[in-house]
Amino acid sequence: MIGDMTLGRYCNTDSVLHRTDPRVKLILYVIYLVAIFMVTDPIALLMLLLITIVLIFMSNTGLKMIWLTIKPVLPLAIFIVLINLFTIRTGTKLFSWRFITITDEGASRAILMGARLIFLIIITSIFLTLTTTPLKISDSLESLFSWMKVLRVPVHEMAMMMSIALRFIPTLSDETRKIMNAQMSRGADYDTGGFMKRIKGYVTVLVPLFVSSFNRAEDLACAMDARCYRGGVGRTKLNPLRIRKADIAVGIVFTLLAACLVLADRFLGQIVVQLTSVL
Amino acid sequence: MPETTDDRRIIVDKVTFSYKSDDEEKVPQKKALDGISLKIEKGSYTAITGPNGSGKSTLAKLIDILEMPDDGKIIVFGKDTKDDPSFWDIRSKCSIIFQNPDNQIVGTTVEEDVAFGPENLGVPMPELRERVDKALKDVGLYEYRTRPSSALSGGQKQKLAIAGALAMHPDVLIMDESTAMLDPHSRAEVLDIVEAMRIRDKITLITITHDMTEAARCDKVMVIKKGRLVMEGTPAEVFSQKDAILDMSLVLPVEYSFAYSLAEMSQGKLALEDLKDRDSLKAACVRELKKITKDRIPPAASKEKPNKDEVIMSVKDLSYSYDEGKTFAIDSIDLDVYKGEILVLAGRTGCGKTTLITHLNGILKPAKGQVIVSGLDTSDKKSVMKIRQKVGLVFQYPEYQLFDETVYKDICYGLKRWGVPEEEHEKRVYKACEMTGFRTESLGKSPFDLSGGQQRRAAIAGVLVMEPDILVMDEPGAGLDPTGRKAMFDMISNLRDSGVTVIIVSHNMDDSAIVADRVCYMRDGKIVKVAEPSEIFGSQDNEYNIPRPYITEFVHGVTDLAGIEDYRSQGDFTPEGEAEALARYYAGGGVR
Repeated sequence: MIGDMTLGRYCNTDSVLHRTDPRVKLILYVIYLVAIFMVTDPIALLMLLLITIVLIFMSNTGLKMIWLTIKPVLPLAIFIVLINLFTIRTGTKLFSWRFITITDEGASRAILMGARLIFLIIITSIFLTLTTTPLKISDSLESLFSWMKVLRVPVHEMAMMMSIALRFIPTLSDETRKIMNAQMSRGADYDTGGFMKRIKGYVTVLVPLFVSSFNRAEDLACAMDARCYRGGVGRTKLNPLRIRKADIAVGIVFTLLAACLVLADRFLGQIVVQLTSVL
Repeated sequence: MPETTDDRRIIVDKVTFSYKSDDEEKVPQKKALDGISLKIEKGSYTAITGPNGSGKSTLAKLIDILEMPDDGKIIVFGKDTKDDPSFWDIRSKCSIIFQNPDNQIVGTTVEEDVAFGPENLGVPMPELRERVDKALKDVGLYEYRTRPSSALSGGQKQKLAIAGALAMHPDVLIMDESTAMLDPHSRAEVLDIVEAMRIRDKITLITITHDMTEAARCDKVMVIKKGRLVMEGTPAEVFSQKDAILDMSLVLPVEYSFAYSLAEMSQGKLALEDLKDRDSLKAACVRELKKITKDRIPPAASKEKPNKDEVIMSVKDLSYSYDEGKTFAIDSIDLDVYKGEILVLAGRTGCGKTTLITHLNGILKPAKGQVIVSGLDTSDKKSVMKIRQKVGLVFQYPEYQLFDETVYKDICYGLKRWGVPEEEHEKRVYKACEMTGFRTESLGKSPFDLSGGQQRRAAIAGVLVMEPDILVMDEPGAGLDPTGRKAMFDMISNLRDSGVTVIIVSHNMDDSAIVADRVCYMRDGKIVKVAEPSEIFGSQDNEYNIPRPYITEFVHGVTDLAGIEDYRSQGDFTPEGEAEALARYYAGGGVR
């Protein structure tokens, strides 16, 4: 249910990763995003798994939190795995029953695609959502893209919009739950019936949610005015971003690890092949 | 006393204002402010009150230059709000705390939100950090500084908003119905904080409120009606004009009503001196009480005791946990509800009231125990729809659930869901409107074009249309002005009289005591006591430490002063009823 969503929630603990400068984390995030999609070799994949486990422990968020972030994506992951498993027919046949055929290529492809999705979710939550407050994410975006202000891109405004949107996610998800309870008391049923019927049923939730969001937006705009908000010019910051030595260290170490990963992925296969042939 | 030069005043001079409609074809809306003039002294504590839609909040916005007057001018400590150079000066020195705690928080964490204002002012570090920490300590939220702001309770969110204002070092602090959505405990805490800050930092405090008990705490009370100032003076001066206040569909603070009732029976007069504060009122009450002769006291109306014949709903050993058993939101609840009674579930915010009622129609499934409604178990999937028809649930702020194009269609929603034959719809809708007092000529309107009060009635009608045997309401009076509250509780009494069993959730002991046949007081997920209001609130010794209605506290203050020992009220918890009950007891020689 929408109300139980953990994806995008900040985990309020302390860790090396929590303290790392968000810009460093954002850059690392992009690097690992690329790495995840470059890696195909099983051994490199295992290395990636190792790095991810290290990151999970460094983030001090607890395995339960990680599980809760993965859980909602699992159906999609399983779907992707099955599609790959059953549709790829090239390679050696491993198993065949009536119209179902599974090949070794299909199996490895399926595992790879499923793993990629899971890695993607974990990396996103570890580098960004779980360890970085939304405000810090938008601060770092603002800082990383501040050069675009020259091109008259409203960088500050966009960052502010993003941070407010993130700030209201818990509020709105609680509200969704409340509205659903109220409509269920009037006979609404969101769990049974066909796809179209369910979509139609959600009108009873979405309309009130939109109306209240507009009201909230109006109130919030007024409150921001009252607190003298006038855009980014002349604003100071309570927690300005500052790069420390530890941030540089984390940045270098994990960039190097990513580089190793990609190199291993490229050349490990060949090395193994050569080694086995030598032996 | 502050000097009375105009530099030390907020001056509102013949100000007119109307909200501009975006839709140009619409006729200009009626004036929110209509030539209003008033003066507020620097450092004073002023209450601005008046019926809904009288222009109170608009005035606050004009002082903070969130809106500009159409006509007339506003001078804040010698600076005209129309002068461009003064704009940021005035706005940064005036802070407003709004009504809805959720809609004024910008920061994701507590400290980031407090910093938002000073950051906008360009306050540099390390001063910024000092200001934020100090403001958080002032409101008692320092320990929460790194928490997500959305995880705070309503009362804490309002304290956060106050910290955000204090960090801007304001000269003027305006509370725009800031306590209206809070439970009495948080409300008192918030008021204590701002009153302490006002004295320490010499802040001019303006509070816009419906709550007359709050207004009575101020130095000065201003009453606004239809965009004009109609009454002004010290609380004693304003509340001495009893009839004028009642004419404006406002109410008197309960202790004043109580004193007036006593004075009526004693045929005495209350002087301005008597109305000065609570202590002088108490003394006046004792004086008048002693003068009352037996023949002046109306005979006691016997209150119908609720029939305990038929149990319509039964909660058995019910527990529920939101975190898989680590903590229990409700813990081993046993409760029988009798047919035809009004049962009030009372307790502080977070005590499990809402969790309990969400079980009553099977929306939440018990972790342990069961809920039986007319022989049907809510955990039984097959009976859930039947139970939801029998038990109507009206959540807090039910107006937020309206969704359809017209009110009529919205009210019909449940009928369609339960497959009630089409030809019955109209009759049922009209009946539901009659029960809630919804104006049937508005049935064709969009629910979003209605006033707040009418929206709430429409939403309740949407539940009543199912003709439930039991109606459960979560804080039905929340956010309404005194007249709206009274109408709501009258409606609830009528529902009971027409045979509906009503369960009300409330944190307000004053409302609970008046309307309830029985009160169930909850704390930390457990039931502390279930009994009739007189038993729960009436006694002087309070073994369960249950908060009492404001009126009861005051009556006990009076009996203490009069030297009456062990007084146990037999009244109905309205100020008038309590006055009569006390007079009867006293005139009867103190012997029951």
